[in-house]
Amino acid sequence: MTAGTGVEYTCRYCRLRSELGDGHAACPHCGARVDLRHVVSESGWVEQPPIADMTRIQFGRSYVQVEGDVVPVADFKLAEGDSVYFSHHALLWSETDVRITNHPNASGWKRFLSGMPSYMLDAAGPGRVGVSDNHAGEVIAVPLPMGGAIWVREHRFLAATGNIDYTFVRTGLWYQTGSGDDRETHHPVGTYDDVFSAQGGPGLLLLHAPGNTFIRDLAPGETIHVQPRSLLYKDLSVWMGLHVESPRTTGWSTWRRNWQLRTMFLRLVGPGRVAVHSVFENELEGERITGGQYTHQQW
Amino acid sequence: MELVECEWCRVQSQPGTSTCPTCGAPLDVANLVSDSGWREAPRMRDMAQFRFSSSSVQVEGTIVPVAEVNLAQGDSVYFEHHVMLWKDAHTPLVAYNVPGGARRSLAGMPHVVTVAYGPGRIAFSREAPGELVVLPLAAGVEIDVREHAFVVASHTTSYSFIRIKGLTNLLHGGNGMYIDRFITGAEPGVVMLHGNGNVFERYLQPGERIQVEPGGFLYKDASVQMNTVQLDVKTGMFSRGLYVAEFVGPGRLGIQSMYHHHGSD
Repeated sequence: MTAGTGVEYTCRYCRLRSELGDGHAACPHCGARVDLRHVVSESGWVEQPPIADMTRIQFGRSYVQVEGDVVPVADFKLAEGDSVYFSHHALLWSETDVRITNHPNASGWKRFLSGMPSYMLDAAGPGRVGVSDNHAGEVIAVPLPMGGAIWVREHRFLAATGNIDYTFVRTGLWYQTGSGDDRETHHPVGTYDDVFSAQGGPGLLLLHAPGNTFIRDLAPGETIHVQPRSLLYKDLSVWMGLHVESPRTTGWSTWRRNWQLRTMFLRLVGPGRVAVHSVFENELEGERITGGQYTHQQW
Repeated sequence: MELVECEWCRVQSQPGTSTCPTCGAPLDVANLVSDSGWREAPRMRDMAQFRFSSSSVQVEGTIVPVAEVNLAQGDSVYFEHHVMLWKDAHTPLVAYNVPGGARRSLAGMPHVVTVAYGPGRIAFSREAPGELVVLPLAAGVEIDVREHAFVVASHTTSYSFIRIKGLTNLLHGGNGMYIDRFITGAEPGVVMLHGNGNVFERYLQPGERIQVEPGGFLYKDASVQMNTVQLDVKTGMFSRGLYVAEFVGPGRLGIQSMYHHHGSD
């Protein structure tokens, strides 16, 4: 159904229904513009439209306004009784009357060891607080309906409303290089990753994606290979595993094809939605893999 | 005939003008102000031009904008030498020693600024995605700028620096040992800064306070006080206390949305 005054609207991006009144230029749940042309690549990737400057997204009696287009700021206006939490690295500014305390977080030690932010902050209303990431990119709003849950790659979390539960899970995805005392274990998507769920009621999750963001819905059994560090989020129903591909080579370069020319992928298998961002670090190349859990394709 | 006032620098222009001749802000685009009171720095159109003294500046690019200065005879600009992107072969450069240079060297700040004299063209850029912030200064104005944010300033603006006072501010403020201070005398001037990410400004009323991540601070009027305060929260397995900069009005405060975090990694 097309967007317009007083019409029911189902957002293409967050898939939630809403009633659009006069002046509603954006989905009230995720901030995606409603009047944009749906941009889909021939391969099926849907471009997530950036949240327009100064767009407001309502949650509970509070709202967040997204400001800027290079490194956007999420500016929360918190009503009495509402709160958001975030990593302390993300705090940009706050009014002096906002109550900032530590967010209860179990097993901080394990996160500390894996290089993740082990302590997060709660900001409780009434008042205003602004958070931002440290990379050029986009703020992605993921509204979670009651009972909904989503997997997010480490370091991509920006902020969440207080009614969203947060836990982290061991990825189990690793490989090793070197041997003996030089053996090194790598976790291309992190040792732990974040899982957010809305058990008590709907909530809002904000992520920061470096570069542009693209989403696609995988059919049951449909497989795609992506760069491990480009994954932004996925439905819990999407299976993932490491996959190495070595190109077919001829001549002098044959001897090094097994390591120097190999590419490490993340294999994603549907059903479910996945999102990737376009700025990412490449996985290490040029080192021979000596162990780990991955599949291998020799072309 | 009603003049058009620039919402960024407040200078009035002739009707029909689409770009402010003093700061380059688009005049036909309304200010974007958040509900919380932050005003976005104007996003200058690619190739927008503005003037100072007898010279002109053209702003090129939108990701890491370049400030290209066309210097007239008798005008000059000064800058830190590593922000110079290119120059005409015939544009002369002169090193200018900043007073107290040894102390600045010890603090990791440039103690020599370079002066380019007209006539000639010279261009500047910083090294991160962000915005070029143009601050036209009326006569007798003082502004403070975080270290390493200054791009270029006109010759009618004097440059000095102030030492950040207080051990807490120094150790935990995230702004180094010094803040750059630009002062105009009897003549107006212009200072151009680079803000990482997006840049926002607000005017603090007398006594109004706001807390900012120290790395987010970009510039302020000299009348705005800056102190470091500690929030009593745990920030790591073995660390407690999050330091933020607290600003107290009156005056303008500018912040940048991409910053380097300090003090609690």
